[in-house]
Amino acid sequence: MMAMIDAVDERLSSALPAAAPPIVLKSSEFRKGREEGWRELETLVLRFERRGVRDLSLDELQRLPILYRAALSSLSVARTIALDRNLLLYLENLALRAFLVVYGPRISPIEGLRDFFRRDLPAAVRSARWHAALAALLLLIGVAAGFMLVLQDEGWLTSIIPSSLGGGRGPSSTRADLLNRELFPPWPGAVATFGYFANVLFNHNTLVGIFSFGLGLAAGVPTALLLIYNGLVLGALLALHYNRDLTVDFLGWVSIHGTTELGAFILFGAGGLVIAEKMLFPGPYTRVENLALHGRQAAQLAVGAVLMLFVAAILEGGFRQLVQSTPLRLTIGIVVGLLWLAYFSLSGREAKR
Amino acid sequence: MTLAHERTSQFFEKTRRERRNIVTPEGVPIPVALADHSERFTAFALDWVIWTLLLLAIYVPLLLVAGFGSFTLIAISIALFIGFVVRNIYFVYFEIAWRGATPGKRIVGIRVVDRAGGPLLPSAVIARNLTREVEMFLPLGILLSGGKSAGGGVDLMQLSIGVWLVFFAALPLINRDRMRGGDLIAGTMVIALPKLTLLSDLVERAAQFTFNEQQLRAYGAFELQVLEELLRRPPTPAGSVVLREVCDKICHRIGWTSEVPQNQLVTFLRDFYTAERAFLERGQLYGKVRADKFTPPALPT
Repeated sequence: MMAMIDAVDERLSSALPAAAPPIVLKSSEFRKGREEGWRELETLVLRFERRGVRDLSLDELQRLPILYRAALSSLSVARTIALDRNLLLYLENLALRAFLVVYGPRISPIEGLRDFFRRDLPAAVRSARWHAALAALLLLIGVAAGFMLVLQDEGWLTSIIPSSLGGGRGPSSTRADLLNRELFPPWPGAVATFGYFANVLFNHNTLVGIFSFGLGLAAGVPTALLLIYNGLVLGALLALHYNRDLTVDFLGWVSIHGTTELGAFILFGAGGLVIAEKMLFPGPYTRVENLALHGRQAAQLAVGAVLMLFVAAILEGGFRQLVQSTPLRLTIGIVVGLLWLAYFSLSGREAKR
Repeated sequence: MTLAHERTSQFFEKTRRERRNIVTPEGVPIPVALADHSERFTAFALDWVIWTLLLLAIYVPLLLVAGFGSFTLIAISIALFIGFVVRNIYFVYFEIAWRGATPGKRIVGIRVVDRAGGPLLPSAVIARNLTREVEMFLPLGILLSGGKSAGGGVDLMQLSIGVWLVFFAALPLINRDRMRGGDLIAGTMVIALPKLTLLSDLVERAAQFTFNEQQLRAYGAFELQVLEELLRRPPTPAGSVVLREVCDKICHRIGWTSEVPQNQLVTFLRDFYTAERAFLERGQLYGKVRADKFTPPALPT
């Protein structure tokens, strides 16, 4: 062995006259000094990833951010002084994994959900109050227009309401028909169809609502049209019952779930209008950036709206058939509506953001 | 300069991972690799299997208790409702509790992160998962029910649902960051997060072969890192053939006249690697960055 090395040395010294100094690499020395810290961080991160925060002791939890910052500064230095590919990739990977651990959300899912419903959702609704007001106005315009049209000519009813949703209601319906079949149907039939009914309505309404939300991307025009259309349907039905002297009963029938359901449509519409606004007036950002910045708020509105539709479906499918008196229905409807209003305008106000 | 090691990865893997930088609050940019479509689909399929089994575990006892006679519309609607709740709780729970990874994502090795580098907030998780309901399950449910509109025939609603479905399914394919609608709205993206290990330093302290400055000026960072990658591979017969070829090329380029014996091959290459790295790193410290052998070398000092 020695002889071989000697032979090589001989060859080398013949090729290179001057003896080369021993090689000291700054990046190598740098690595030697810090490697222990990286390995420690890696172990902590791995344990955190495997078994969660409970696996780490208090001491280790306190070490984590310190080690993380050290690794991050190592990465910055290594980028300028080192050409060791494995080292650079390792440090980037370690820094990213540690970053996700150190800056991850520090709340449990239960807490997260509670915070969302108590604080984030009402705050999102409050900050979109003008959009909601505009959506409500559009809905009202629709109601007024639908009412006027059908009041003059009940023929409009069939063109406004597709037969699949009309439920047999139309210009030919008599007062007794509406009263017995629609407003106060006999009890047993209703209970059998509760779940199905609620679900079908939930699906249909959610789809319409989600269309009005998602189509905010198209500058909000479809959103506005869908809001007006929903108003038209309601206005048309109102006129139908008005003509048969059933206004109050109809209002009771509608309001028990209608205050919740219309609220949901208004929220969907408000979300769509928020998206439309951010698309049309991106300010200093590009349109996509601006959408990403504010999209979360719009999505929270949609989440709230879906929640409301759930409640509406339960009220409509269950309670409306249980409660057969118009004053009571009106009371429930108004109280539920006020509760929503209170929730969205008051909840989480005191909390610091 | 930081791109040299990415270029080497590209050279060896032939494919290129799309990368984005997230900037930590400390101001250090960290590159993240976007998850592939196939990875995301696999993760979703795994999750789908898991919550379907979960649902079965709920349905079967319910069905046994209630008896098969109760298989009515009301039962179907309740089943649909339970399905909706279980599915959403599953995704939201895991993405909060496991910080952006569901079981499927964890198996595949991908994760949801905030696009701006902030923490992944519960509201973002809820938003991106409820949007999945809109993008996928709701239209799917409608399509699977065969579009039985009471009016009969294909109506405008069904048509628009079809357009909706196609648009949303295609969304991750048509944007640069591979975001689906939920990611777009919640400000998140899905990244691949493999675990890398730190291998030992290849630097050889007691060098047997020495090289002069003229010889070391032959290569740049890219070639150095390709050499590193080759030296790090576990020794195989095929590998040593490659090393031989590389060694011959290096000798030819730097004008190394004496023969390198086969048993000295790895030692020679490691010594060359060490010397070359020392040379290039010293140059880099003085601001003389050399990306590869095609860029002109810095002037001799």
